[in-house]
Amino acid sequence: MHHKDPPWMTVAIYAVLLIFVAFSVYPVLRVVTVSLRPGDQLHSRSLSIIPEHATFASYVTLFTKTNFLRWLMNSAIVSFFVTLVGVCLASTAGYSISRFSFPGRRAAMISLITTQMFPATMLLLPMFLLLRSLHLWNTFGGLIIIYSATALPFCIWTMKGYYDTIPSSLEEAAAIDGCGPVSAFRLVVLPLALPALVITALFSFMAAWSEYLVAAVVLSDKRLYTLPLGLKQFQSNFSTEWGLYSAGALIVAIPVMVLFLSLSKWLVGGLTLGSVKG
Amino acid sequence: MTREQRIAYAFAFPALAILGLVVLFPFGYNVVISLSNMGMKHFWNWRITGFQQYWSVFSEGIFYSTLAKTLIWTAINVFFHVVIGVSLALLLNRPLPGRAVIRTLLVLPWAVPQYITALTWRGMFHYEYGAVNLVLDRVFGLQGVAWLSQPVSTFAACLITNIWLGFPFMMIVALGGLQSIPAELYEAAVVDGASRWQRLWRITIPLLRPVLVPAISLGVIWTFNNFNVIWLVSNGGRPSDQVHILVSYVYRAAFNLYRFGYAAALSMVIFGILLLFSIRFIKGTKGTEAVY
Amino acid sequence: MIAEKVATSCRVVERSNAGPIPPRMGALVAMVVMALMACSPQGTGDLVVWNTMRPEGRAILDSLLTEFGAACGVRCSQIYYEPEELRSNYQIASLGGSGPDLVYGPGDQVGPFSEMELVATLESLLPPQFLEGFTPEGLVWRKGHLYQISDQIGNHLHLVYNRALVPEPPQDTDTMIEIARRLTRDEDGDGRMDYYGLAWNFEEPFFFVPFLGGFGGWVMDEAARPTLDTPATVDAFQFMYDLKFTHRVLPPESDYDTADALFKEGRAAMIINGPWSWASYLNKGIDMGLALIPKVNATGLWATPMVSTLGYSVNVNLRGPRLQLVLQLLQYLTSDDAQRAYARTMRTIPSRPAVLEDPVLAADALIGMSAAQAKVGRPMPVDPELRAVWDALRPNYQSVLNGTKSPAQAARDSQADALKAIAEMNQ
Repeated sequence: MHHKDPPWMTVAIYAVLLIFVAFSVYPVLRVVTVSLRPGDQLHSRSLSIIPEHATFASYVTLFTKTNFLRWLMNSAIVSFFVTLVGVCLASTAGYSISRFSFPGRRAAMISLITTQMFPATMLLLPMFLLLRSLHLWNTFGGLIIIYSATALPFCIWTMKGYYDTIPSSLEEAAAIDGCGPVSAFRLVVLPLALPALVITALFSFMAAWSEYLVAAVVLSDKRLYTLPLGLKQFQSNFSTEWGLYSAGALIVAIPVMVLFLSLSKWLVGGLTLGSVKG
Repeated sequence: MTREQRIAYAFAFPALAILGLVVLFPFGYNVVISLSNMGMKHFWNWRITGFQQYWSVFSEGIFYSTLAKTLIWTAINVFFHVVIGVSLALLLNRPLPGRAVIRTLLVLPWAVPQYITALTWRGMFHYEYGAVNLVLDRVFGLQGVAWLSQPVSTFAACLITNIWLGFPFMMIVALGGLQSIPAELYEAAVVDGASRWQRLWRITIPLLRPVLVPAISLGVIWTFNNFNVIWLVSNGGRPSDQVHILVSYVYRAAFNLYRFGYAAALSMVIFGILLLFSIRFIKGTKGTEAVY
Repeated sequence: MIAEKVATSCRVVERSNAGPIPPRMGALVAMVVMALMACSPQGTGDLVVWNTMRPEGRAILDSLLTEFGAACGVRCSQIYYEPEELRSNYQIASLGGSGPDLVYGPGDQVGPFSEMELVATLESLLPPQFLEGFTPEGLVWRKGHLYQISDQIGNHLHLVYNRALVPEPPQDTDTMIEIARRLTRDEDGDGRMDYYGLAWNFEEPFFFVPFLGGFGGWVMDEAARPTLDTPATVDAFQFMYDLKFTHRVLPPESDYDTADALFKEGRAAMIINGPWSWASYLNKGIDMGLALIPKVNATGLWATPMVSTLGYSVNVNLRGPRLQLVLQLLQYLTSDDAQRAYARTMRTIPSRPAVLEDPVLAADALIGMSAAQAKVGRPMPVDPELRAVWDALRPNYQSVLNGTKSPAQAARDSQADALKAIAEMNQ
């Protein structure tokens, strides 16, 4: 569809796009504004992005007077392992479902989506009982297992969709060259599936990085707190330290934003829930 | 078992084992609880009472009104996600200076953690201090709306928030689909004298279908069960405890009203509804091949 | 002697506390081990107190826990939750056989917790001479058992006014309305009010209950049966409705944060709020005065805020030496010294009368007024049925204030909803 647009249309397209860019960006800028306000006021009738008497005090307090760095590290550890588990298991399971036919394949594929259908909040209580009986309650291990399970269905789907677009003649050629199926997967298919692997990593990371409900039930030791739990400590039932909360929220959001932005090139190619067979 | 099948199982097993562990036990637990009288008076000493809780679910009017709200919620959200997402993808799918930057900024709502944006939007809908009213007032000279004081306008506020959150996903999916449509198809159509409009409806939309069908069905499931936005923007269903969809009502029944058996039964019903939907939708749109 | 006892019970519970693990990112294996082993299960870990305190209170709690921990060689920590979240997470955790050692919150949380048997009965666990030091309302009993030991009484609402705008606080509701009408105005003529006479949280019926009492009604009777469909409720709803729509002295939309922010900016002359808010008003430089919530002219009765306690309950799952240690901690956290520390910073009313003999506290005008307000208030019921009453009142109260239900209808619906919720709860 790359035929030259008339100039008026280019202008119109830019206008529409810019309206939506403003719509996307403004709420995020609002968080920036609150984090820069002096005192702990959420409320102001000013619309300017940089508030009056802007100050980095909230950020300074965050890093010097709270356990923010510890929460950051905890979240990083948990997210790292969830990403690792997600990438390893989704890439193999997706491959299996894409390439091989075996009894239970269809059932496995269907049960993947059905995991998304049950209200997650009702899984909290049994999950808690399960983790306790496995002695994984109040550990990162327990959290990592649950987050991985949350991220896996979508990731397997994505991987499977992407593998479907890679012609299986490649593996056949590899087999002729004396490659076994495992090394054909590792050496030939996996490198080609990089865009989907990136998506999988991104998704697994996001599933862990900012999750609140499960973490609140699984972790009870403050030293293990992840970022969302930590930030919650700035709230109280009637008053919230909004400056701190926003500054913290922004720092939580930044790694995800950076990941998204730097990976957005892969995002478009890698997110293949189903393939276009032109 | 053939060697190939052994490899297939070995590859699939670890992921399915984790899923089985984390999903199957809790699911089974819920099935049992949904058949019991677990609640405030019988918290430790609950016993199986049969289908009584299911009867409560279906005999209470609140189920039907909440189901209706959930359907409206899901339909409006997914509609706008798809329309906005696909339109932006179409606009972006051309050589355009600054395209990468624009695309990146448009993805921002997806990148910021949900609980942060939900609370931010709640703040933005504030009558006195919220940015939405301030913009209405100062930019458009309109009277502010007391968004969060009426159930309907609060519901609208939740919708706006969730539309904002959800369109980037559809946009990215659609962009991926568009980029894999071979350019020759369009060239051939131009040679045949097809207009822009015809090219859109005859080539682009049909070829996007296989990409969009799974994305939409996933979108429906996610939106139907989106607890965060409704709960955080409406502050737990307020005002008047009217701003609920089924999942937020489940949470309230279990943890605020201590009706664990009832909540488990309602969860099973939600599960059933979504299962039926997926089977019918995916069959009906012939999207099966793409998904399974 | 107590110190000795603490020391012996500590020894039994003593365990290896490896301390924080150094953040050394070495080999992958080391990280796996670290991630999986970073904490031992709580059965053998620190003493944990879940609480709903605001930040100033948490700071005091932290220092008390550190002191106790140092004396005992055990680590103690506190975790904050919003009240609702504390309830749901505590249900999950204690049902699973774990959870915090102590759970702190308002007295009414005793209702569901005792009904679900999630908190221990304390009457035979604590020494009588310790219990004797409390005012009767400071110990929360239900159905013949003691479930909660409070460290403060109060948590109730007052009329807070800005002296710069209201030189003399109103004594009755007519005067209050008159003052409020005078002070509600649109300064810049844009059709929106810039100043309001009166503001408070329109979301929570807790803020409505004082007037319900002032009109001669109450939320439930002695047998925990809701009493909402009464002329008093209708009158009180009508009073609210008139404040907003007839006298137009309230902001169009007001949750807690709005009301609070308006008062802090000097844009609301009066607010109905509790002791938790005072420090922030004084810090903002508001010349704040405290008064009784006015007498209702129609009945001649004072408005009756709900007076509750805040205190600690013990996890039902605790046994043996750990239970003994936790009981020591409980006594420490509700001791005279601890209560004095809270009262001095947070201006709360101690639940041990001996503490009030402290000269600083005895001379404190805010605490004095708060005690006077507590006298005309009514104690908050501790039955779980109260939950159903709140849940039934909340939407109806909100509907009256957004004009979608008539007061009579809202009163009828409140009663019906409460009865239905109680039936569902008890099934």
